[in-house]
Amino acid sequence: MNFDLVLESLRDALLLPEIESRPVPIDERFVQIPPERLREAVAVLVNNLELRHLSTITGQDTGQGIELLYHFWHGNGLTLCTTVPYEKPTVDTLMALIPAAAFYEAEVTEMLGVTFVGNADPGPLFLPDDWDGDPPLRKQNAHG
Amino acid sequence: MIGTATLLSESRMRMDRVKIPIGPQHPLLKEPLAFQVTAEGERIVESTLRLGYVHRGIERLCQERTYVQNLHLLERVCGICSHVHTTTYCQAAEALLGLQVPLRGLYLRTLLCELERVHSHLLWFGVLAENIGFTTIFMHAWRDREIALDIMEELSGGRVTHAVNVIGGVRIDIGEAQFQTIISRLYDLESQVHGFLELVEQERTFRARTRDVGHLSAEQVRQYCAVGPVARASGVDVDVRRDAPYAAYNRVPVRVITNDRGDVWARAMVRAQETIESLRLCHQLLIGLPDGPTAVRAPRRVPAGEVVSRAEAPRGEVIYYIRSDGSDQPARVKIRTPTLPSLMTLPDQLRGVHTADISSVLSGVDLCIACADR
Repeated sequence: MNFDLVLESLRDALLLPEIESRPVPIDERFVQIPPERLREAVAVLVNNLELRHLSTITGQDTGQGIELLYHFWHGNGLTLCTTVPYEKPTVDTLMALIPAAAFYEAEVTEMLGVTFVGNADPGPLFLPDDWDGDPPLRKQNAHG
Repeated sequence: MIGTATLLSESRMRMDRVKIPIGPQHPLLKEPLAFQVTAEGERIVESTLRLGYVHRGIERLCQERTYVQNLHLLERVCGICSHVHTTTYCQAAEALLGLQVPLRGLYLRTLLCELERVHSHLLWFGVLAENIGFTTIFMHAWRDREIALDIMEELSGGRVTHAVNVIGGVRIDIGEAQFQTIISRLYDLESQVHGFLELVEQERTFRARTRDVGHLSAEQVRQYCAVGPVARASGVDVDVRRDAPYAAYNRVPVRVITNDRGDVWARAMVRAQETIESLRLCHQLLIGLPDGPTAVRAPRRVPAGEVVSRAEAPRGEVIYYIRSDGSDQPARVKIRTPTLPSLMTLPDQLRGVHTADISSVLSGVDLCIACADR
């Protein structure tokens, strides 16, 4: 699928002409989306463009907030990036659009403390039931 | 006083829905995973699963080690497809460093990827056979898998963890004498795998245990973003080797195998045919092996940046995301292995299945729990 068409569709549907993209090796494009518009952006990919393959969600603590990377695949890689603040680390769930988001969201929730609004089963999936520490991939936690 | 009739009806009601725990430790599972299956009589109505019993925190550990040390760690994400993890990782690091791996290095890297697929698929075939009661086939499949393991051991020194990849290429090379013996053993293996394919196609009991069991439609595959042989056995034509060629796959085109049935039998067919295709690729790689060096020297520090790297593991697409802050340690390494989306398909596959077929369904997916847990 032509990446320019994807970017154009996102800009038109979200009425956000300022959406920017950047190339990332290997053959991947990263597109920055505000967290409150993320669900809409994914709805455009899934419903308008039949772009349904979500490879995974990467969460990372960048020091400025928690960055979420939604890695899609359409013959080339397409990643939607969004950053949620430490004070309110929430974003809408994608489970109604892509059921595969279930495990990926649960993992980001337990490893980084991000809440996916509407995800009825947020884990735990990998951590022990009695884990009472901070989310282990946060930088400012008891593990350094 | 409670009459016998009341007792019987209560007992029948209790039998109506039974929760069966499978795992985390269970003879059916080769690795720890907790399943809970709810059955009505002999039919499964729902199932839930819980991971984490072999979660080792590898992503976090990667942030505390250098790029070179991580090679050793990432080879141990999986005990079956160890080479594809370092392949995906190395090509990510090489992209950040702007390194051009010599062609001979890429060919040898790809050769190991295909030998690994052969041994993984034969291992899987043996596990499926054992779990549905074909102990003889299990023994034959694992006996023949030894041919692939022996070749990998000769090339690398290791049967399962090969430590072949380095950032910038591979650390092994292949001589003329080795070349001849490997080629002849690959022919032997191919004739054995043709026998397995015939068995899957025609053996009456094998078909009875696997056909129309664990069905997944193409739409279900797309919903759960499943990959690899599970997707291809439901008619979804995806393969990273063809769709985004890496290593030497742009020089040895891959014939992607699909099947439309979507059941355990189709998964067995796809994997058996893929094994033959992998052996064909091994021949092509060996015959076309170019001369020259196998690796280039890589600097310790990796320039700041991000990279997303994909490869086709024996179970499907594996994806690595790496962020570098310019130091000799990565700031973030994210790994998604193909078993994770396959696991999400299991409740759909198990719904309506006879309890005796749980073993076929779980085996059919080719679970690698250590991979999924990381």
